[in-house]
Amino acid sequence: MIGLDVGSTTAKKVSIEDGEIKYKITGTHNWKDLVTGIGGNEIISTGYFRNSVPHRASVTEITAAIYGVRHYFPDADVIVDIGGQDTKIIDVKKNNFTINDKCSAGTGAFLEFVANYFKIELKEMGSFHSRAKRIPAINNTCGVFALSEMISQLVAGYTREEVIAGMHYAFARRISFMIPEAQKLVLIGGTVKNKGMLSALENILQKEVLVPDEPQIVNALGALKYYC
Amino acid sequence: MKSIQNYKLTVNNWCLVQKKIAITALVPPELIFACRGEPFDVNNIIPGSKKYPRNKLCAWTAIWQEMLSKREIDIDFLIVVAGGDCHNALVDGQKVAMSGIPTHFFFYPFDGDPDYLESQLYKLSDFLGNVGSPEKPGQIRELKKLGQKIDKKRADGKISAGDAFRIMISFSDLMGDLDKFKKVISSTEERKIDMGNRVALIGVPPIFHDFHDVAQALGLAVVFDELPFEFIRHSGNDIPGIARDYCNYTFARPLDFRIKFLQEELEKRKVDGVIHYTQFACHHMLEDEIMRLKLDYPMLTIQGDLPGNTPEQIKLRLEAFRELLERS
Repeated sequence: MIGLDVGSTTAKKVSIEDGEIKYKITGTHNWKDLVTGIGGNEIISTGYFRNSVPHRASVTEITAAIYGVRHYFPDADVIVDIGGQDTKIIDVKKNNFTINDKCSAGTGAFLEFVANYFKIELKEMGSFHSRAKRIPAINNTCGVFALSEMISQLVAGYTREEVIAGMHYAFARRISFMIPEAQKLVLIGGTVKNKGMLSALENILQKEVLVPDEPQIVNALGALKYYC
Repeated sequence: MKSIQNYKLTVNNWCLVQKKIAITALVPPELIFACRGEPFDVNNIIPGSKKYPRNKLCAWTAIWQEMLSKREIDIDFLIVVAGGDCHNALVDGQKVAMSGIPTHFFFYPFDGDPDYLESQLYKLSDFLGNVGSPEKPGQIRELKKLGQKIDKKRADGKISAGDAFRIMISFSDLMGDLDKFKKVISSTEERKIDMGNRVALIGVPPIFHDFHDVAQALGLAVVFDELPFEFIRHSGNDIPGIARDYCNYTFARPLDFRIKFLQEELEKRKVDGVIHYTQFACHHMLEDEIMRLKLDYPMLTIQGDLPGNTPEQIKLRLEAFRELLERS
């Protein structure tokens, strides 16, 4: 049996072999590569395309996240799943959730715009951030206008590293508005591999944020745990 | 430019011919029918509309404004609910008035004063050409009793939420024809409905035409529709009677009044959870945090913008909400 998370930008497969978590990640539209030789009856699906792929059972990303995070942090009370196209805030203790998919400023797509503008890889953003000496204020809450403001800050003399750090803070501030009071806050999703964004969020929230070793596969794992 | 008052002066001699009276929100249909008018709720055509309005905040008002101003809806007069509805309607109603459609602005009292509402109803009666069919409110009262039965059967799992909603939402204008509407109500099919999770739908009605059916298919049975319930619960045989009853129209009253009413209804209907539908750029969005604070139920807030099918992002939320209720 496998957990298969086919999201808006990537597809993730998880299986548990001899108690060990095995996983593979690819682009959304290459999801078939992950299930070669695996029948639909052996797949528990989640993610945006959960009902478009063969499956024995499917579960939403919200429930999958709860089960997946429980594996790493059994007493997590709030989960923030920052995906490519939306951000989900799950209040585990109050059994409540909200999804932001109307505004790009709080989604992975926002940071992707920034990386594209500077012609750098997303994974490089964290190291750029760490070299920043100053953090320019990016005040706009709209992703599109924040990008215009970013260019203004470059014109004003801030370096690429500093502007990237400023954008991480703008992004983290946007996310922080959606997060309820939590003792144990866990972040998951591909975007949280970005250490710059993570440190900005910790600074804004003034608390430690927990991240599983491989935050991108948590929902695929959760789908599997939900069923098995 | 003519003033709105001037438009009003042009409409007082038409009372012998039945005219089509557009309404933008709940206006007592008892009075419109009694004045020999044929009410037409402009909102009823919006969920099926494919229109992309040029200048919009809330799609509900923007679409009817554009369609009325361009004469894409055939009506004779317009009544805008300007007090007890929204400021978007107040402005968009004035745009329609400026396009040349005779328009009347109707105000509900925030404090529920029946005398104030009575004076508003008399002004409306003047605009409509005065009461000519005093028997109509009594006939509507009987139809509303049938509507209340439909509502109860839906809550008891004997009529689908979608069928009940389509009937109840039509009580704002009773399809402009009491006999035709009675036949439509009578043709509602009873069948056993798998109730699953019982949910209440509060706020303005969703702008998606298939919402109730989609929710049902995803395991959420809507057993209470806040606004359509208002459409079937008020009545009155004459202007003072209509004023005494409609002054408790919850959407026009302060939030604590509306919330107390909701608390009682939700308890009566034994709901498992609440879906709060909000419309993009609608002031009701601001009420969400208060609803969450005051209504002690698991709550899902969703937001719509343009009309059409229920979008996939909303279906995801509904499915996740069902999973949440099943975990509760």
